[in-house]
Amino acid sequence: MRNRMARGSRGRPTGVALLTMVAVTVVGAGAAVAQSPSAGAPSGTVKVGFISPTTGFVAALGTDMRRGWELYWEQNGAVAGGVTVETVFEDDAGDPDVALTKARRLVEEEGVQMVAGPILANTAYAVADYVAGQGLPSFHITGADDLTQRSFDPHVLRVGYTSSQSNFPAGQWAHDQGYQTAVTLCPDYAFGWESCGGFVSAFTNAGGTVTEQIWHPLGTQDFGSYMPQIQAAAPDVLFVGSAGGPDAILLYQAFTGFGLKDQIPLVGNCCFADQVFLRETGDIAQGIQAFTYWVEGRDSPVVQEFVAAYEAKHGEIPSLYAAGSYMMAQVVAEALEATGGVIDGADFVTAARGVSLADSLYGPLTFDDTNNPVGPVYRTHVEAREDGTLWNVVDETIPDVSQFWTYGKDAFLANPVFSRDFTGQ
Amino acid sequence: VAVTGRSSARRIVPAAAVVALVVMALAAPLVLAPYPLTLLSLVCIAALLASSVNLLVGQVGLLSMGQAGISAAAGYAIAWGAVRDADPLVQVALAVGVTLLVSVVYGVMTMRTNGIVFLMITLALGMIVFGLAQKTTSVTGGQNGLTGVRRPELVADPGAFYLLTFLALLVSLGATLAITRSSFGLILRGVRESEGRMSSLGYPVARLKFVAMVCAGLFAGCAGILAAWQAEFMSPATAGFSRSAFAVVMVIVGGTGTLLGPLVGAGVVVGIEHWLSSYVERWPTLLGVVLIVVVLFARGGVVGAVQDLVRRIRPGAGGGHGSLTTPGTASGGGVAIGSGTGTYVAPAGPGNEEVRG
Repeated sequence: MRNRMARGSRGRPTGVALLTMVAVTVVGAGAAVAQSPSAGAPSGTVKVGFISPTTGFVAALGTDMRRGWELYWEQNGAVAGGVTVETVFEDDAGDPDVALTKARRLVEEEGVQMVAGPILANTAYAVADYVAGQGLPSFHITGADDLTQRSFDPHVLRVGYTSSQSNFPAGQWAHDQGYQTAVTLCPDYAFGWESCGGFVSAFTNAGGTVTEQIWHPLGTQDFGSYMPQIQAAAPDVLFVGSAGGPDAILLYQAFTGFGLKDQIPLVGNCCFADQVFLRETGDIAQGIQAFTYWVEGRDSPVVQEFVAAYEAKHGEIPSLYAAGSYMMAQVVAEALEATGGVIDGADFVTAARGVSLADSLYGPLTFDDTNNPVGPVYRTHVEAREDGTLWNVVDETIPDVSQFWTYGKDAFLANPVFSRDFTGQ
Repeated sequence: VAVTGRSSARRIVPAAAVVALVVMALAAPLVLAPYPLTLLSLVCIAALLASSVNLLVGQVGLLSMGQAGISAAAGYAIAWGAVRDADPLVQVALAVGVTLLVSVVYGVMTMRTNGIVFLMITLALGMIVFGLAQKTTSVTGGQNGLTGVRRPELVADPGAFYLLTFLALLVSLGATLAITRSSFGLILRGVRESEGRMSSLGYPVARLKFVAMVCAGLFAGCAGILAAWQAEFMSPATAGFSRSAFAVVMVIVGGTGTLLGPLVGAGVVVGIEHWLSSYVERWPTLLGVVLIVVVLFARGGVVGAVQDLVRRIRPGAGGGHGSLTTPGTASGGGVAIGSGTGTYVAPAGPGNEEVRG
């Protein structure tokens, strides 16, 4: 009986097949229609593709990035080096596959001459690899160390610091404070390994001892279990290399809840006590020390003008991601001035690498020969602004910090990239 | 059912249409630009993974929430070989080996379960693959992924690669059809309808489920191989929960248990995620609305709805059951996704928690 029914129905798959194929073809055709003349963009205009995650689990970062990028061109005009800069925005949802599709669309359909890039390490690596393969430059603010180290490509420029870069001074400082022992608490993936790697390398090389390295899974809900462990280790200093977000907030609540705040000095990385954190935690955050390169409360006209403009527009203090994208836009503009409005593959990156800023959102900035910034790292603490809003202010400036710290490029690159098993240079 | 002249005509015309459309699909590389071809390849690859989910849920009534784990394992095998300049055949052999291994693990772990337990175990297995991909950095590159993967020379061109994905999809659809129409398929559907009865009739239910899982695993592995070549990049995101969940969404949207449901669903989901997202900022909302509308008003998915429509327009057509490949499925409804499997889980979870690098 069943077999007979099956036979009776055999005619119909085809009808459905037809509709399916039509649907699939329509999708394809639609994409084809959206195609615009690529190559040879009209003279006087350069097209830049901007990929950030404006949906998905890191949508907040991607939205900030877009805002920072837009603000630069609004403030400074979209003309640089005699050409108009036109941006095509894309959303990668924090997924490398989507990021790649979008990069392909930007290059093949929109004919962009460069791509400014995704924030997550894996999306950045995927996009940089593809875009470089097309002979086009890509700019990034992602922290992933190897992008400008062991995976160096002359088409790729980073306008942010590597994950480890701003934590080397933290390790040196901790030692200079007279701290003998340290415990580190970092998330258990590349960003955490690299953040901790910076601190541990500098601290141990200076003569300190890391007594315990605690790795917590990303998205840890309960940091309570780590606190007794830290208490028992009783280190002179605790280093936290956080990726920010809920993890940082829950971690600090546990830290204060267990009363460790008055027992063990805590020093954070770039992304621990950021604006997202400060909005949520309130006054218990006052006084948190950190080492970072974007400081919203730094006493510099460049920074304060940016913060004021951003706040007027979006009603909040800009994050590292907004500042980073603003910086990417600024470097694009400066490099266009240098090349006379021409974006020509790796040559443009070479021109961008030559950009030197007397002061910028990060401070005085140059680039090294693997296309990564050399600039100041700031020791900061959290305090209330005049209107009561919490922000970070500068206590000390460590100038000209390189991604290779004091080790030198060759010695540094002779070692493997930081991992859970390797955090000391 | 006696085959009348009228019904044979009915068979020939659509068959000709299918042939024409396959020819059109094969000719696509001649007329389309590289980017649309990339999108079509993505649809074919996604459809392969969805077919894997569909085989299990449509035939055996087992909803897998970890199918991306198998495809990611295969993808990592390809990537691992590719960055070491292994011959493409060696890469594929390695990937098939890994696929079989992982599928066997999946099969052994799930063969004695059904319903929500099956769902949870596959979910857990998927997360284990995700965790391994993230932690074993020396092999997988960890969170940063593996760059430098390149397609084999022969299919390096977007058109040639699209043809490869399309042919792989055709083969998998053929295999699905063959399984469905075999006595093996009939027995699997027996297990779906009443496991206890099949068991008491003497069928080795657990072994059957194991074999079904390995078959489905091969589809997923095939999708993984092609996905790694497509992206020329591999990262833990490919094993993430959202990948597995999207495959389930494709099956639901397209039509659970139907032959072409996964393809239609893949077209809709990939179309929204990769293409429409360039123009519509709130595309995840749109995808959610599509899913809700399908679940509420077209439980047989797009394919089921179209079948209903065809039946209404031509009342004589068809024998009155709504499924192409699974005789015995409830009319017009396909297999509701809850059929013996508990409820659908929204795409959010451990796999999504990578934060920043």
